[in-house]
Amino acid sequence: MRTSWLALLLAPAAAGLLIAADNSVLVRNVDVHPVTGPEIHNGAVLVIDGKIAEVGARVAPRAGARVVDGHGLQLYPGMINAATNVGLEEIESIRDTIDLDEIGTFNPELRAEIAFNPSSEHIEVTRAAGITTVIALPGSGGRGGRGGAASPVITGQGALMHLEGWTWEDMAVKPSAVMDMLFPEIQGGGGRGGFAALLGGPTRTYAEEEKLYKQKLDQISQFFNEAREYKAAKAAAGPGFKRDIRLEAMIPVIDGQLPLFVRAERERMIKDAIEFADKEKVKIIIADPREMGSTGPMLKAHNIPVVLGKTFQLPMRDDDPYDAPYTLPNEFYKAGVKFCFGTFDVEFARNVPFEAAQAVAFGLPKDAALKGLTINSAEILGVGNELGSIEKGKMGDFILTDGDPLEAKTNIKQMFIGGREVSLESRHTREYEKWMKRP
Amino acid sequence: MKHHYALLAAALAIAPLAPAEVPGNIAIKDAHIVTVSGADLPKATIVLRNGLIEDVGTNVTIPPGTWVIDGTGLTVYPGFIDALSTWGIPGAIPAPAGRAAGAAAQSPPAQTPAPAQALTQAQQQNPIEAENAGRPNVHGPEDRPQTYSFERAADLITPTDNRLEAARAAGFTSAATFPNRGIVEGLGAVIDLSGERGRDMVVAQPVGQQILFRVGGGGMGRAFPASLMGNIAYIRQLYLDLDQYKRAKETYASNPSGNRRPEYDHDLEGLAESPRILLPADQAQQIDRMISFGQELKVPYVLYGLHEAFKRVDQIKQANVPALISLKWPVAPRDADPTDIPNYRDLVIREQAPAVAGMFAKAGVKFAFYSDGVDTAPELKRAVKKAMDAGLSRADAVRALTLNAAEIYGVADRMGSLDKGKIANVVVTKGDAFDDRTTVEYVFVDGAMYQPSKELQQGPPAGGAPGGRRGTTPGNDSEGGRN
Repeated sequence: MRTSWLALLLAPAAAGLLIAADNSVLVRNVDVHPVTGPEIHNGAVLVIDGKIAEVGARVAPRAGARVVDGHGLQLYPGMINAATNVGLEEIESIRDTIDLDEIGTFNPELRAEIAFNPSSEHIEVTRAAGITTVIALPGSGGRGGRGGAASPVITGQGALMHLEGWTWEDMAVKPSAVMDMLFPEIQGGGGRGGFAALLGGPTRTYAEEEKLYKQKLDQISQFFNEAREYKAAKAAAGPGFKRDIRLEAMIPVIDGQLPLFVRAERERMIKDAIEFADKEKVKIIIADPREMGSTGPMLKAHNIPVVLGKTFQLPMRDDDPYDAPYTLPNEFYKAGVKFCFGTFDVEFARNVPFEAAQAVAFGLPKDAALKGLTINSAEILGVGNELGSIEKGKMGDFILTDGDPLEAKTNIKQMFIGGREVSLESRHTREYEKWMKRP
Repeated sequence: MKHHYALLAAALAIAPLAPAEVPGNIAIKDAHIVTVSGADLPKATIVLRNGLIEDVGTNVTIPPGTWVIDGTGLTVYPGFIDALSTWGIPGAIPAPAGRAAGAAAQSPPAQTPAPAQALTQAQQQNPIEAENAGRPNVHGPEDRPQTYSFERAADLITPTDNRLEAARAAGFTSAATFPNRGIVEGLGAVIDLSGERGRDMVVAQPVGQQILFRVGGGGMGRAFPASLMGNIAYIRQLYLDLDQYKRAKETYASNPSGNRRPEYDHDLEGLAESPRILLPADQAQQIDRMISFGQELKVPYVLYGLHEAFKRVDQIKQANVPALISLKWPVAPRDADPTDIPNYRDLVIREQAPAVAGMFAKAGVKFAFYSDGVDTAPELKRAVKKAMDAGLSRADAVRALTLNAAEIYGVADRMGSLDKGKIANVVVTKGDAFDDRTTVEYVFVDGAMYQPSKELQQGPPAGGAPGGRRGTTPGNDSEGGRN
């Protein structure tokens, strides 16, 4: 059991005594891991009105701030899962519970935060693992159709969401954090095409597939040009100007403010994505790469960050080493590329600390893994000033644990989001309680 | 055609058009004769008469009125046999032995008549429904899914198949040819690759029942069997049904009076008639599976495919099962993504598959070759040569293509070697068989003489393989490129 019921029982009593604002809290007598600085043994963290006001070895209590004794506990920043579909999908096999993957090639106007279901069971479950914030992406990453014109490219705006709140408005930390993009891919000609032929499907040669791919890239460039023309027309505000939310949504992208969250699995796709970003002068994040290949130095030189996907998966090719997915994060680390972790799913979004931990077991330094769940994630997602570490002025998002959060055995004892204590109860704990009581 | 016997040669080439005139005597004198059944005769004579081998040896009397070809510098072999073919059935597409899971996906039905018995009246009136007969509402083995066991290659043979000429140019005179649709594909026939009408070409039938596992549920609809295990279970059920059917028939035959007659079942009749069953076994695991399945079915069985058999030579030897090796050697896919890294297993299979024949020869496994969609003369020649380059002796290669194939199908009493009394299926080459520079000078099929053109022997220009549909990966791919 991860939850300390004792703490929950004591909390209202303490709060009652001090008549505390529910988002001001002093946690003391705790080992603080700010992530951006050295560990403070037996330190304290003070949160006033949801923001960290003080961090140090000794912090004086403040009137109106509830006091929590963190004796024997570790304090870490709340973890961030930088790629999920949490809130947009409840049960994968029930279409009615899914609000993902709009039809069409370019859908930049779609906003994930509006679709975010604040009552999703997955929110509590994910939170219980020490995750306070997630990116909710409007696309699942599935590619419709083979190399055809119909496969989606821009699936909409991903939102950075707190895993606590009454409504999606409460929960949105940054409503439009990234623009989700599935980079086109040259579908397998020949080899896989031959297989498709066996199944009665059409065959295309590699050359044909490559041609389709180039057409797709042209189509994307054309769309970006349209967005630029639209922006100019909007600025000119001529009489004939018509608002178009689709192109309007692209303005922050072409201005280089909103990063494209470019899903690119293979080395070749990553290279092409970098080239594309250079050409269009847009900011990109590479998402869910399955290999690094020679792209490390390029990514570093272009200062392009990476959101890594699951480490617990099979290697991409039959003959890849069994540990290729486990060692991939360390490859990026050694190449000096800034990265963080995501899971690109819903029900296993809770496992993101362990996805990172597996990379630690295969060579990634532990502090790099922790940064990839906290401060790097925040910086990559453009909220480095607000989240990701225990520093003055940041949001009061942190967890109290009885050990290292990368260890599966560690229990998350308490969680605070914006200085407000959050229940760690979930469907899992309720089921646990229920069945423990079975006579 | 400027030789002194040009007129006669021309007459004989036309001869099959008028079967009554076929008898003509030919002798090839002082040639190197590879009898296959016995010792090589470096300088001997063979006499062909009346479509049969009249005599062969070093001490042969050439009857008067015989056209004599000077065999100096020529080598005479028995005509080659394609041991698992679709030659002579033009609509047929070579059936892959199942490279993926020992199973092939549904291929379009061959242009053969749909089984009339299976049709409702409505279906008979609607050709589209007729074509789909037996597909959409198949729920289990009781519906006899994709079963064409009653279909006879012998009834489907057409002499106009343009692949025949190309096959002859490579020295092939015969083929064990099979219909190819469904899972139970029908009754094969051994045919000679020349004749005025289909029926003239049939040498022996039925010679076997070809099985091909088809995974994916029969094209458009989801129908049983959609999985490999369903396919295997279905065949197993079919043979249990056959056993019961035979016993019911015997019981009834011994005492018809006062008993209800057992219902006539043409699916099982087709199965009962077949002297052997051909099982697809390309990959190692599939070979294991098919050996135990073949033994369980208690019918004579033959494995085909065998590209990964280099891992299972001992097991095949121990099972004492004949093997048909596909001449369509696995090669790198054409037009593949240049950045795709082939996996190790595929690379090993590509490299080792051509060595399987040599390994079989050493281990004493009886094997033959089959064309598997390779159907131009130069490609066939190169495909055999590739096995020789990988360790197969020329004598064993020739034997695989002649006597072994004939023995596997039980027709060694009439073809497969140059012996007195056998069918006059003979190929005469300048140079040793399958060598690059070797040319086929004459081919005799049922005694009818052909002189394959240089164009056919050198092959059509690249990309112009006749009937170049799926499954006709040109063998010359295997020459270049990385394998």
